[in-house]
Amino acid sequence: MNTALPEDIAEFAAVAAKRLARLGGPSAALQAETDDRVRREARTTLTELGAFDLDVRSASDDTLAAAVLCQAAGATALPYPLVEELLAIDGERLALVNPETPRIDHGDLPGGWVAADLDGTRYRPQPGSRTSAKLGPFLVPATLSEPEGTVPAADVDLHLVLGSWRILGALQQCLEIVTGHVRTRVQFGKPLADFQAVKFAVADASVAVRGLHELAKYTVCRPEITPAQVRSADALVLRLRAADAARQVLRTSHQLLGALGFCDESDISVLDRHTEPLFRLPASTEELALRLIPGVRDGHLETLFSEPVATA
Amino acid sequence: MDYDLGPDAGELRKRLRQLISTHIPAGFLGACTDDPQDLATTESFCKLLASEGLLALAWPKEHGGGGGSIWQQTVLREEMWAHHEPRGPQYMGINWVGPAVMRYGTPEQKAQHLSAIAAGEVIWCQGFSEPEAGTDLASLRTRAVPDGDGWRITGQKVWTSYAQMASRCVLAACTDPEASKSRRLTLFLIPMDRPGITVRPIRSMLGPHHLNEVFLDGVQAFRDEVLGEVGDGWRVMREALAFERVGIARYARCESLLDRMRAELGDDWDRLPESIRARWVRALVDLRAARLLAYRAVSLLDEPSAGAAASAARIAATTCDQQVAELLFDVLGPSALDSGASAPLHGAIEDHWRYAQAATVASGTIEVQRMLVAHDVLGDHR
Repeated sequence: MNTALPEDIAEFAAVAAKRLARLGGPSAALQAETDDRVRREARTTLTELGAFDLDVRSASDDTLAAAVLCQAAGATALPYPLVEELLAIDGERLALVNPETPRIDHGDLPGGWVAADLDGTRYRPQPGSRTSAKLGPFLVPATLSEPEGTVPAADVDLHLVLGSWRILGALQQCLEIVTGHVRTRVQFGKPLADFQAVKFAVADASVAVRGLHELAKYTVCRPEITPAQVRSADALVLRLRAADAARQVLRTSHQLLGALGFCDESDISVLDRHTEPLFRLPASTEELALRLIPGVRDGHLETLFSEPVATA
Repeated sequence: MDYDLGPDAGELRKRLRQLISTHIPAGFLGACTDDPQDLATTESFCKLLASEGLLALAWPKEHGGGGGSIWQQTVLREEMWAHHEPRGPQYMGINWVGPAVMRYGTPEQKAQHLSAIAAGEVIWCQGFSEPEAGTDLASLRTRAVPDGDGWRITGQKVWTSYAQMASRCVLAACTDPEASKSRRLTLFLIPMDRPGITVRPIRSMLGPHHLNEVFLDGVQAFRDEVLGEVGDGWRVMREALAFERVGIARYARCESLLDRMRAELGDDWDRLPESIRARWVRALVDLRAARLLAYRAVSLLDEPSAGAAASAARIAATTCDQQVAELLFDVLGPSALDSGASAPLHGAIEDHWRYAQAATVASGTIEVQRMLVAHDVLGDHR
């Protein structure tokens, strides 16, 4: 077992993180709410990084590269539908939607879209216009055509997985910001980090992020021989865990930053507002859990006691 | 990057499960029960594992071990804990006492103790905690006063698991009360039948043998019984416990109980309230994360970040223990409180709930684990 990223992937992750950070990070994302040039620059940068040359569906190294790229995008609140474009079908971005209330993040960008629900049912979406939403400022309502066949289950799975890597990046960045804040912010004559309650909150958030990171690595590198139903359950497990971690870490971040964390001057506010659609859509954690219930019964939600005996 | 435990992990798992199903009686809940036969079962099982080279699987061959990998050791740890630790109290000798003797022991100590542990012939207990020193071990008060060529040890230990069963004890005592906290303590390898040692069991909700008091009244200790150097006990204790920092594979017991309960319920599982089944899913999700955190900690070996990684894994696993305990109690309803052979899963769920209450207390409280993780994240910020 080797739980560390391969060296070349780790190097690519570092380059991607640096390059995306150079775009301006959350403050650029904030600017993108009113200036479309930022989103165009984001795409240019992704192209220069080779994002759209990656064969994310069939080359395992490319999938891993896409994962760390999504992680970097999450950390910088990159205002671009990266996962959707990485999984484009015939040049049209793939959006995962809830067919009852379809919403597409960055759905106002030029270019075609394909929509699919978690069952893989395919629709032709008609994105509407941007609203002035605080939470998910790039989210647009959409109308869907009647079902038009299906998209591969593997695409839905990979969408959930890469989206979870984006969430992971955002949460790691939040923890970094919180850590810096409580180290330097002095109250009652000492840094916040000296208070045990603060230490415990940081520790619990760190455990949540560490657990998500390990689960994200494990899920993205499952062997190709893993049965399709197990892979689908794995993807749901990861997204459920990512969404749970997001709620915990963002809550902790707001609490520890105090009023500052609600201000757009603070990166926490932007990271939170821009990441909300990622972990709320297309399904709540409750719905994700319900979807996994059959997997307990039929063994697709694997444990140490699944048959055949799991080797990891 | 891969999460493969190795080419022989599956075979090892199967072999261990075969041995357990053949030699461990149905309804076995560990050595800490009122039935003395359970302790006897663990003793014979340890000898069986030793004969197959599986007891000290990851020890070097020169010390009677199997020379196995850390991942084989991980499989062993998972299968043993999942099946109510059929090695009984001897897991402690294997997991940290032996490795500590390998690192700090004299050639004579190695010769005396390692082969006995590897052969499954000795039970050790750990004389650390005291009435006034639980989590804060460096402040313990048991005194070792120089006497001839050795010491006389007087004091009291508490919460000492397996003290009634054990033939030997790793005993921490203060040899220099004037020294700094890090230089006060010395570790001794003491036989439990030495005059002056009195063990008194403490009745508890955990069951017999888990908790004891050990009274030390002028117990003689010899110079060749010191583990490491005099005054270096704090460092030895900390580093020795690092051998076992990942802790027991609590997630494996939880996954096992959920699997057995689901099988026991059969089609009735589908008739459980949806809210319960959703909690079941969440428990399995959390357990997977806890298992992967443990693997991460194991993979880091002696790297500086391994300690915090292990603490993170312990926080995740111990909270899962309690989460699963509550879930299974809610699944069972009123019969959850039943114990004994006629209770659901032969009382394994009731037993798990009781033991899970100690998960966030034993072997380093969850508060201490949080402090260690916080220190890793926050560093020295002043």
